[in-house]
Amino acid sequence: MSSVLESTTVRNEHPDVIEAAMRPFGKPSRKFLIAALFLAIVVAAGLGAWIYQLRMGMGVAGYTDSSFWAIYIADVVAIIGVSYGGAVVSAILLLAGASWRAPLVRLAEGTALVTVLVGAAFIFPHLGRPDRLVGMVIHANVASPVFWDMIAITTYTFATFVFFLLPLIPDTATLLASNPDELGRGRRALYRFISRGWVGSERQRHVLHSATIVVAIVIIPLAVSVHSVLAWAFALVSRPGWHESIWAPYFVIAALYSGVALVILVAAGFRRGYHLEAFITKKHFVRLGYIMVALGALYFYLTFADLLPSAYVGEIGPTEIVYGMLLGSVAGWFWLFLVAGTILPLVLVALPWTRNIGGIVIASILVVIAMWIKRVIMVIETSGYDRLTNSFGELFRFTWVSITMTVAGAAAITLLLMLLFRVVPMLSIVEMQELSPGADASDEGSASPTKSSHGRAAGVVGAVILLMVGIGAVGVTNAQPARAESLAAVATETLPVVTVTAVEAGPENTVTATVTLNGQPVPGVQVNFYESTTMFAPGDNQVPLGAMSTNETGMASIKFVAAVTGPRTITATYFPTVLGDPVVGTANLDVTEAVSLYAPTPPRLLATAGQTLALILFGVVIIVFAILIAQVVRVRRVCRPVAKGSGEPVHGN
Amino acid sequence: MTSLFGIGKRQDAPVDFVLDPAAEELDQSRRNLLRGLGLAGIATAAGALGLVAYRDEAQAATADGTSGQEHQWCRVVDLRACKGERKCVAACQTRHGLPPEQTWMRTLSWHDDAGKEFFMPVMCQMCQDPPCLKVCPVSATIKTEQGVILVDQDQCIGSRACMAACPYEARYFNWNAPAPTNKMPEQSPNTSEFPSNQIGTVGKCVLCADRIPYSSDLPACVEACPRGAHFIGDLVTDVAVNGQSTVKLSTFLREGNAVRFKEELGTNPRCYYIPGNGQPVGGPLEGVR
Repeated sequence: MSSVLESTTVRNEHPDVIEAAMRPFGKPSRKFLIAALFLAIVVAAGLGAWIYQLRMGMGVAGYTDSSFWAIYIADVVAIIGVSYGGAVVSAILLLAGASWRAPLVRLAEGTALVTVLVGAAFIFPHLGRPDRLVGMVIHANVASPVFWDMIAITTYTFATFVFFLLPLIPDTATLLASNPDELGRGRRALYRFISRGWVGSERQRHVLHSATIVVAIVIIPLAVSVHSVLAWAFALVSRPGWHESIWAPYFVIAALYSGVALVILVAAGFRRGYHLEAFITKKHFVRLGYIMVALGALYFYLTFADLLPSAYVGEIGPTEIVYGMLLGSVAGWFWLFLVAGTILPLVLVALPWTRNIGGIVIASILVVIAMWIKRVIMVIETSGYDRLTNSFGELFRFTWVSITMTVAGAAAITLLLMLLFRVVPMLSIVEMQELSPGADASDEGSASPTKSSHGRAAGVVGAVILLMVGIGAVGVTNAQPARAESLAAVATETLPVVTVTAVEAGPENTVTATVTLNGQPVPGVQVNFYESTTMFAPGDNQVPLGAMSTNETGMASIKFVAAVTGPRTITATYFPTVLGDPVVGTANLDVTEAVSLYAPTPPRLLATAGQTLALILFGVVIIVFAILIAQVVRVRRVCRPVAKGSGEPVHGN
Repeated sequence: MTSLFGIGKRQDAPVDFVLDPAAEELDQSRRNLLRGLGLAGIATAAGALGLVAYRDEAQAATADGTSGQEHQWCRVVDLRACKGERKCVAACQTRHGLPPEQTWMRTLSWHDDAGKEFFMPVMCQMCQDPPCLKVCPVSATIKTEQGVILVDQDQCIGSRACMAACPYEARYFNWNAPAPTNKMPEQSPNTSEFPSNQIGTVGKCVLCADRIPYSSDLPACVEACPRGAHFIGDLVTDVAVNGQSTVKLSTFLREGNAVRFKEELGTNPRCYYIPGNGQPVGGPLEGVR
């Protein structure tokens, strides 16, 4: 994808940053157009697959009840994960003072912005009813981790955008000043808007630098929060394999690992496509490679730490999951991930004769693909585990719909990056000019770090972050003695007679039955007592109260406490013969004092903790937005005094 | 106060079916939540828009259990009686028009060492601390005043977070079009109590809540079991029936050594299992028909 501006070897000893950054701005080359067209077709195919899925239901993507979460949520996790690479290369290395990062930052930040958008977009096919997404706002449930996914991704996207935007202010001003004619009208208008009021004064540079530092500090915990909350969408349910305390940091490290790998790939792609060899050198790849494999080793360790406790204790669910990974249904994929995703990259970077750009790019490709596979395994295996039968249902099977959409996601990232850097410079011009001693010393437009602002801003935000971390019935109407009457009519003198009395004394009711045969008491026989209820069909239900044997006077008596007040019929039955009809006596009882055994469940421990946490989190989110907006406002404010009209910023170059 | 159901829909329901007062408390807790931020302006705006609610079991627990709650429905499954005929499953499938792969009730079976087969019907356990309710991002899972857990099919966005959360695997998804709506023997009013299954949403056992208070019809599974293994009960009036006999719920559970499934998870289910498959049905029910 080489551009038409093929003047690559302008000044070998002092490579021209401005010229290089503008290489994609020219008329697109044929290679570029073919690639863009191809990628656009793939993206369109993905959208078509989604429309098909919307019409036919998610079943066509391979989803079943035993794979209710599968490829799309894995795509969300994997693609949002790689966006963390941008945060590392730009924010972490900025704070660490690693100046070699300069040629990579714009590419890394652009990658972060594009991938977080594409990753978040995969939430749409993941949902059964994306048309009701507004429910996430108008019926939001603050107790749901998915709600906080939305909040975290939104906040992080905003921060990524601000982080991408701030360094563009001096860069666009520089380009406007140096090469206004080559920019074209669209870019000129955009750049004027972005850089309006920027003259590169001492104060402006000071404020911009300080604001960038603040955003860099904020973006790191934000990225941690995004990947943590994504992990908690899984870990906050009691499924084996997901319900792991290690998952949040595990996801964060996975994101860093795959993210650095993607930054390497993007850097390699743009380096080759636009001939940036003078700026992005083997040194950059080797350093990024070191960072990547260090994270890979950490991920390997966390994988072990994730699996060992489950396998060791041997609890059935978690053990089945570990078995499935090591020897069972997803073992092939798991070992592929482990070898290709953690061990091979380490070897490629460790061995001196593969520790070159080619070797490191291959390692990065392995990492990006293997980490996606790992996410898919993590999702589909537990999803397929049935906790009632302690066995696996049918695991997720890829279909053309879900594969097309996933490939389209990868294509969309590439395409968006290609287009993004046709609009904004792909190199961080001012920062690179400042760091390259031979380059033109352009005082205006360079943001020189001054120790005091750096330290103070860091201190303020650090305090805020510390603060954030620290807070871190009765349906009874009338009794129906219908059956008792009919049965009583059957009784004759030859049958025993049961007479019943029922007395209420406080909540306790005493029911007494007397069994007589021809006036003589019948001792030692069992009498069953019932009370009538109006509950449940068919409506004349008799609730057993218990059984008691008659004494010498033919009397049997039980005490009971009614559950509900109101009138009812008390029935006592006695079977004179084993197979014959019972003899029945009834009495009416109007209960005025009742004690129901039902008591509502007492609140669980920590029942209100969630609400408190939600409250704190809302506060944190508001503070974060306030900080980010304040940085933009700060920078805009220092640009204001000069920003009368739309005057071109003054630049002495 | 709540827009969970269309008002008209609720009036059409033939039963005295009211939402959990906890739902009413949502407004209050929402206001408290935001007031706590000290952002009165935002609180007013968000409160007016009905933006934010905190829904979990804590609300239900704070509801006053003694006032206005006439019934607290529960289930009892007498495993001694179950012989795995799965007539309950079939009746449920028919009544709710479900496809074969989507069973709101499953009957598990397993063999012991001697080759004897055991059965256990499992369905939504109507947890009082329901994990599914907490994780729903759009508050589509609701707990009624009478302890029944339902899904508002018109609000569900199909995130399937509840499927992940349910420890009883009692939730099912309408994966394919056409959703199995029109196979029902009776017209569904499309309420949460008797949902018409919509594509892209989650379904589960609704305890035939459209029949509450079960004074003319019992849940389909209870009616269908020829052996009376399924009981529908009310904890307040302390009565349970299986369509054939009536029991005093507390006594029945105590004498049957009733247990709850996965008690250790703290879900506080309202489904009781009486173990002892293979034992004869007996005890205090003798003579009562």
